[in-house]
Amino acid sequence: MAEQMESIGKECTPLKHEFDACFTRWYSERFLHGDKSNDCEKIFKAYQACLKNVLREKGLTKMISDARPSIGSVFTDDNDDAGDK
Amino acid sequence: YSWSTVSYAFLNRYPNPFATHVLTADTIEHRIDPSTGELHITRLLRKTNSVPRWARSIMRENDAYILEDVVVDPKGSTLVSKTRNITHTRLLKVEEKQTLTMDPFNDSRTQCKNETCIVSSIGYGLNSRIESFSLSRFSENIARSRKGMLYVLDLAQRRGLFRQRFRMEQRHLESQ
Repeated sequence: MAEQMESIGKECTPLKHEFDACFTRWYSERFLHGDKSNDCEKIFKAYQACLKNVLREKGLTKMISDARPSIGSVFTDDNDDAGDK
Repeated sequence: YSWSTVSYAFLNRYPNPFATHVLTADTIEHRIDPSTGELHITRLLRKTNSVPRWARSIMRENDAYILEDVVVDPKGSTLVSKTRNITHTRLLKVEEKQTLTMDPFNDSRTQCKNETCIVSSIGYGLNSRIESFSLSRFSENIARSRKGMLYVLDLAQRRGLFRQRFRMEQRHLESQ
């Protein structure tokens, strides 16, 4: 899609756009056709690293990690991935 | 719209003119479960703080953040998205679950199911007022997100994304 969302950290926005472009291409051309390969891994790692810093600066890291296990708390989940790690 | 198309549109639904309250969207996790082939995505969304005036005095935080967890099963043509707010949880906890599945009787159609759970435990006699206010907004929000999805789907169609995918799906089927 033409317009793009910004990232929570302005410095991460270009990485995010690059990842999003890769993701949308990969999703429609590969993933939906049963191809499990993950083309966007490298760019995702770069984007993640940038995000980690921003989240830490904003003090969101703990809030997010506290919230994550309970995302399926109200609704029962068939694909519960919080179980085994 | 087929499930492939709808799931694609759903994952790319921002920005859209019906969701101007969503300011930023970041993917904080993206992985494929090797045993099931499912795609697991976690996203952090930042929204404008649309708290009603009477509740503003109880709020400390300014930015509203939402965590979204999406699981996509391409083989079973199912996408499940769960979102919950991670800020202002003292005031209100809203969890939403959206399920997109291929219509079992027509594979060019998609079924969408929305569930939500709204709980307020702030006390001060405000709980039910907060909950019913939120519930009343829920159906507006559903209508708005549906408009947003249709907008994104329509855009994708006009850009020929459907035709491309249709061609690719054809080729994929023929190669089997």
